[in-house]
Amino acid sequence: MKKTIAVFSLLVLLVAGISVMVYTHDEVAPTYDGSGTDVTELYENPEDYDVEGASGIAEIIVDTNLEKTMAVNDVASVVFDYRGFDTIGESFILLSAIAGSFVIIRMIKKREEE
Amino acid sequence: MKFKEGIKEKNIIVKCGADSFLPFALVFGLCVILLGTVSPGGGFQGGVIVASACLLLYLGYGYDTVTKSINMHVLEVNESIGAVLYVILAFCGILFGARFCQNVFYADGKIGDLISAGTITFMSFSVGYKVLTGVGFLLMLLMSLLSTDEEEQMEE
Repeated sequence: MKKTIAVFSLLVLLVAGISVMVYTHDEVAPTYDGSGTDVTELYENPEDYDVEGASGIAEIIVDTNLEKTMAVNDVASVVFDYRGFDTIGESFILLSAIAGSFVIIRMIKKREEE
Repeated sequence: MKFKEGIKEKNIIVKCGADSFLPFALVFGLCVILLGTVSPGGGFQGGVIVASACLLLYLGYGYDTVTKSINMHVLEVNESIGAVLYVILAFCGILFGARFCQNVFYADGKIGDLISAGTITFMSFSVGYKVLTGVGFLLMLLMSLLSTDEEEQMEE
């Protein structure tokens, strides 16, 4: 039962990853406001575009944070909303670190007993 | 070796320091977790502050008191509960018709209230719970390693 669940979840992750790879290979993902700006073109010739007052994603987050999330702390909204998937990885690193140290300490204790 | 002797004898200064800073660490850490979305702070930082209370208890009263007052296996189980809670809250975004981890039901309450930011607040709580129990468990493990050294010294 456990093996079936593990294989199933890994298969779901594999299929999702392959589909995202195929999708992004065919067309460039849309920008933040939905308009399909060619990012490579913008990077090579920035004079052709209106780039005054554009300080990137930071300004967008600070400007629209209160309407979008109603969280006063911008950092919390970035950590738990915009980069929520990253936080899952961070907290599971803690879990695996604890499991690893548990195994090592048990090995040391067993060796001392012998 | 002076450090270990100090722990064995339970120095009065260390004991008084542990007594006065332990409630402060607990209350301040829980405050940092609860007010994560309306003030500087958050789940990770507050959890580590609360877990430091475990270390203060060890410094003041020794390993036996820590094992009597804190159950290691309860901490171990509760860490997994926190992780599962976080994933369930992240899946709320998909249930409400949005993306994974997106903020939903945030429109109730005024800006600056404790529960006004939707799932961000509850995700912060769950990460705080997870870090609190996880770092506490890690500190207990390291203490158990230290205590075997002390017992060997006593036998010698």
